[in-house]
Amino acid sequence: MEILTPKRLSFNGKGGDLFVILIVNWLLTVVTLGIYYPWAKVRRLQYFYEHSELDAHPFHFHGTGREMFIGFIKAVLLFGALYGVFILLVMQQEAWAIITAYILFFGAFLLLTPLIIHGTYRYRMSRSSWRGIHFGYRGSLKELYTIFIRDGLLTLITFGIYGAWFQMNLRSYVLGHVRFGNSRFAYQGDGLEYFVLNLKGYLLTLVTLGIYAFWWQRDLFAYYVDHLRWDHGDRGSIKFRSTATGGGFFGLLVGNFFLVLFTLGIGLAWAHVRTMRFVLSNIDLAGDADLDKITQTEQEHRDATADELGDIMDIGIFL
Amino acid sequence: MTPRAYPATFYDGKTSKPHEALVALPGHNVLEVRVGPERFMWPLEEKGMGWERNNELVRITFGDHPRRVVISRDKDFIKAFVSGMGRSGRRGAYDRALSVARVALVLFLFAVVGLLVFGYFYAIPWGAERMALLLPKTLDEKLGKTVMGSMALGMDEDSACSALLQRFGDRLDLGHEFDLQFHVVESDQVNAFALPGGQIVVYTGILDLMDGPDQLAALLAHEATHVEERHSTRMLVRQIAGYLFISLLLGDVNGVAAIVAEHGDDIRSMSFSRELESDADLQGMRALHAAGQDPHGMVRLLGLLDEASADVPQAFEFLSSHPMTTDRITAAEELAEVLGADGTRNGPDPAMAALFQAIRNEQGVDR
Repeated sequence: MEILTPKRLSFNGKGGDLFVILIVNWLLTVVTLGIYYPWAKVRRLQYFYEHSELDAHPFHFHGTGREMFIGFIKAVLLFGALYGVFILLVMQQEAWAIITAYILFFGAFLLLTPLIIHGTYRYRMSRSSWRGIHFGYRGSLKELYTIFIRDGLLTLITFGIYGAWFQMNLRSYVLGHVRFGNSRFAYQGDGLEYFVLNLKGYLLTLVTLGIYAFWWQRDLFAYYVDHLRWDHGDRGSIKFRSTATGGGFFGLLVGNFFLVLFTLGIGLAWAHVRTMRFVLSNIDLAGDADLDKITQTEQEHRDATADELGDIMDIGIFL
Repeated sequence: MTPRAYPATFYDGKTSKPHEALVALPGHNVLEVRVGPERFMWPLEEKGMGWERNNELVRITFGDHPRRVVISRDKDFIKAFVSGMGRSGRRGAYDRALSVARVALVLFLFAVVGLLVFGYFYAIPWGAERMALLLPKTLDEKLGKTVMGSMALGMDEDSACSALLQRFGDRLDLGHEFDLQFHVVESDQVNAFALPGGQIVVYTGILDLMDGPDQLAALLAHEATHVEERHSTRMLVRQIAGYLFISLLLGDVNGVAAIVAEHGDDIRSMSFSRELESDADLQGMRALHAAGQDPHGMVRLLGLLDEASADVPQAFEFLSSHPMTTDRITAAEELAEVLGADGTRNGPDPAMAALFQAIRNEQGVDR
């Protein structure tokens, strides 16, 4: 077997460059009363992707303002309709109408969440590439709903305790269906370990008046990173390992906080860059997979509705 | 003459293997890509060709999915390629943005920021006030009842005192449109407040300080003005409008910015509420005067509160939200001068004096 040089993730964006992008985005979004938002988002994402490198090769985001705009309009219309029905019902001033309105509203939120995760992954992965090879998401919406309904109910009847298992099942399912060409990702987190980690983090944070929060954050980050694997069948695999320290998180988060606060938000671009740098430089890749031998398999998926819905509902993605 | 070749990386779109390549621009609208022994000529005018650049690299793609990609970090190539594309009218977004003179950009930024500041401090409050006045008055009543309903649980209301205060208030009759309902609540706090729609709450702490019915009448006139002028509803609409405006501007920015936005708005609405307090004093005095009561009661009330607040500052909520008491007293004194000549046309009302005494006695019983 050939000896491969260690693979490295890195971020080489600069605060000043990102600042120019963000300020122009902000201006155009304000001046166009929000219509520019999808293009602004594409510009921002492209900057982050293009300056993130694996093995000195950049990632690329293929999304376009136009397809994001179509998704944005659909998402806004859907939300407008939802709010419209909600307000109409509440204005009836009848008990049944108000109860129906709330059930409908929160029901819609709950039911939309798996749809958004599914759609966002399909879109984001399909529009991401590295060395010309596209990512993809092959999860099934039906199975995602099954996980949500089953684990959601279990979380409810265990007063939230099962939430740790829920999160791990969700992460395993979603990341387990991410493809990169003919290679795949796998995540193996254990609900109990994750629960204990969070319980410990919570209690120690309370006892130390919040100081332990940074070490809790370190443990969480490590738990997400260390249990992720990149498999290329019999051609080998790559394991990810976190090298982030609690002190590192302390410096990052406290630094960012003051950076944003004392500059009244202007420092946000630099804070983003610091975060990206910290995250990517603290993920080590080790393994024998040959990164040159991955072949293109994934199709394109251009519907950005879920991605925009996710923005409205503030649901992020975790890869 | 062979055109100059620049180093680049080529990805064929089939596998993840990067290939060392050379790129050249041998003529108009064509890109030559050499990978090992192979050589492609990419027509740059075709629809299937796309390109982007940033500070570090240029990225050229060709064909439909899966695309072939060339990335070059060579500064000279980027320059040559970009200027070639500019000549054929296919400039990228990055270069379009850069070619806008920076001075113009800065001026534009200032203009937009100026407009936004103007909007936030003048246009938004102005529009919000108009909006608030369009809302039906029944909304105030509903709002007040809802808030009162949720607050009532945490308050220790003295219903006997409330009934007496209600009679006092009815007797005072300042000719307000809203149906005023008075509540006396057991508390050491020197405070009183009005909810929209006519719910007025007076703490026993403030009653204890008073030595005459004129001050109670002044207090009720002050609070009734808040109700009548719909101060809470107006402030609420202004706050919502201001908050919406700021969160729209900041868009998807993170939590820190949201906190800054929220508190920034609080500070402004605090100065707005100071303005409203002073309004309530003066309008209340005019209402007292019109109803044949002594507007000097307001001066005495404010004086008492100011004096007492010097002793125990933190307990005096009635004044703590409005620290410019001396200004308020001066304003009240001035208005009292103007109105004062015939301040007590009907003389002190004996029925109200009796009710005031009854309230004091009732409180004494409770102690």
